[in-house]
Amino acid sequence: MSSYYDLDDLLAEEETVSVVFRVAADGVGILDPGSEDNNVEQGAKVDVPLWLAQDLCQRQAAFINLPGYFSQRVRKEMQADPGCVDIRTRCPYFYGVGCKLVPITNDATLGSFLLYTLRGRYKDILSKAHSAAISSTPKVMQILSREETMLFQAGRDSMTAFKRWRVEGTRMERAAVLGKKRKSQEL
Amino acid sequence: MAGQSNLQLSVFSAAEVEFLAEDEQIDIVPNVRMDTLHMICGDYGPFRPQIPVKVPLWLAIALKKRSKCRIQPPDWMTVEKLTQVLEDEREAPREFQPLPFHYVEISRLLFDHAREDISDPYLVRSLLEDIRDVRFHKVESGLENLSAKTHAVKLKNLAAMEVNIVRPFIVRALQCFYKHDSEELVKQSASEVESQAVSSDRVPRRTLRPR
Repeated sequence: MSSYYDLDDLLAEEETVSVVFRVAADGVGILDPGSEDNNVEQGAKVDVPLWLAQDLCQRQAAFINLPGYFSQRVRKEMQADPGCVDIRTRCPYFYGVGCKLVPITNDATLGSFLLYTLRGRYKDILSKAHSAAISSTPKVMQILSREETMLFQAGRDSMTAFKRWRVEGTRMERAAVLGKKRKSQEL
Repeated sequence: MAGQSNLQLSVFSAAEVEFLAEDEQIDIVPNVRMDTLHMICGDYGPFRPQIPVKVPLWLAIALKKRSKCRIQPPDWMTVEKLTQVLEDEREAPREFQPLPFHYVEISRLLFDHAREDISDPYLVRSLLEDIRDVRFHKVESGLENLSAKTHAVKLKNLAAMEVNIVRPFIVRALQCFYKHDSEELVKQSASEVESQAVSSDRVPRRTLRPR
């Protein structure tokens, strides 16, 4: 699903995560607004975009703190009722970010938590996608993550297209040429 | 084969499915005398008044529009047959009754162009709608069982239009589940998330609707 040209994949990597530097880094003070000189000190906590965090962690230059939306509190909330948790305001790329964090974090339960979340919310999306009204934006869309929204839209669009086909009156489209009146005098 | 209306998703639009359905054969009773028509897809005719002849649906509709024939609705489009199908459909919550692959489109085309040839059109139409609703509800409740272990979905006797409606959703849902259930994510091996193993066809398939 993730590919080089996938826009959602790129945007997911823009999400900021907080990392703690294991080593001091010179000349990158721009990353840490709190630094006085142009350096990041060892043990400094810095917010960086995910794409940078991935690289830093792979080079053992930093370790990652899981973002708040993967905290125990949210997990408990998710266990209570997956369908009601508002993912969208927490992180629109919940799954994308989660998947990218799995290889660089020590938390072994993250992957299964993502799967649990998806499974729990899937049924809700399924039942609402095909029965949603055509015109209005349903309420459920306000709490779906970007990935879930695409799933929801896929179901809703095909259902809408079918309903439109069913009620549509004349299906024969007249070619533009046929409608024109012939000029009275041809050259 | 993919539809032309949406190149990215390779899905058919409803109109494209309808176009495919127009190749189905149907009986007509001509009321004119006409020689055999030689088409690329075959020869049809000769047409003699009151002698039934089999033609593709598109030809039947073209002739009907010029009122040169009467279309004989197919056997399954009768009140008795449809009532029976609806009953069976309701009684068997886990399987679909055999109906023609293009039953949604054929009935729609006949209702649009040859309404007067159908006996009891109101009842037939409402029966068809009921059957479609019941069947779609079954598809939905079947899809609820979709899980990470699902690698393929078996939907026996599902009609073209019904498949077409759920196709984008199923494809995306299966992709999501496949991604999130991959070994790398759940069992936390050191390898990269992106390098997912290609799905092998040898895994046991989950039957959504066991017969």
